[in-house]
Amino acid sequence: MNRITIDSTLLVLALLLGLTLAGYGFGQSAWGGASLAALGLALVKGQMVIDRFMGLARVAGPWRWALSGWLAFVLGLIALASVV
Amino acid sequence: MSASLEAALPATASARREPLPGDLAMWIFICAELAVFGLLLVGYAFARRASPELFAAGQATIDRGAGAIGTVLLLVGSWCVVRAARAIRSGSQAGLERWLLAAIVTGLGFVVFKGFGFAHVFGQGIGLSTNLFYTLFLLLTGFHYAHVLLGLVILTAVLMKARRGGYSAAEHAGVESGASYWHMVDLVWLVLFPLVYLVH
Repeated sequence: MNRITIDSTLLVLALLLGLTLAGYGFGQSAWGGASLAALGLALVKGQMVIDRFMGLARVAGPWRWALSGWLAFVLGLIALASVV
Repeated sequence: MSASLEAALPATASARREPLPGDLAMWIFICAELAVFGLLLVGYAFARRASPELFAAGQATIDRGAGAIGTVLLLVGSWCVVRAARAIRSGSQAGLERWLLAAIVTGLGFVVFKGFGFAHVFGQGIGLSTNLFYTLFLLLTGFHYAHVLLGLVILTAVLMKARRGGYSAAEHAGVESGASYWHMVDLVWLVLFPLVYLVH
């Protein structure tokens, strides 16, 4: 029997698009935590791009931490300015 | 957890053993670009904190749906670039050219779509000096737009070299560098989109 394989990058894309749709929903929502949730989704999406699209998940050295640190730092300050 | 789902999620710290994709100079450039974008993004957030009514009124005039469509175009383009790099790693020149062309088409889609958005804003008589919201909105999105254009120039240059047979499975650092730049443009938009269009 032929095994059906799903390209993992296609799965990443599907997740990213799904999370974008969820973020858009939070943007339309009047719920108090919607802004924080939209920023949280951005953190997850950004990390997926860093790891899987940029390919830094398997790269030696500080590069992944540099970009992940940038992402968390910038989103953290935005959350601080926007929500807190 | 299935292998494919595990592969899609953010990675753990294990098994980092591959060299940096592309040229070191490009990664230094990417870090410099991210630092500049970081200042702009955080500056926008704190300016909004200082003038929440002004920014809420301004945000109500921009189209969230258009921002979401722009996100989709950039994400699909990034995925095409991933496939292009994968194709040349496995020695497929035709695959490289096909996926690069697809990435350029989606990037052009973003440029045209966002271009109409800018035309709509400017057509209403709104400009950089209208108020602080529009100053920062146009600066931030316009600066990102310029980087999308530069990314398209880079991808087009890579495609032209690919068509001359300039890349192989053994030598494709230029493809990886161009791909990394394009992903950086995508990464910045993933922060910009919720900040400007969604957070309220």
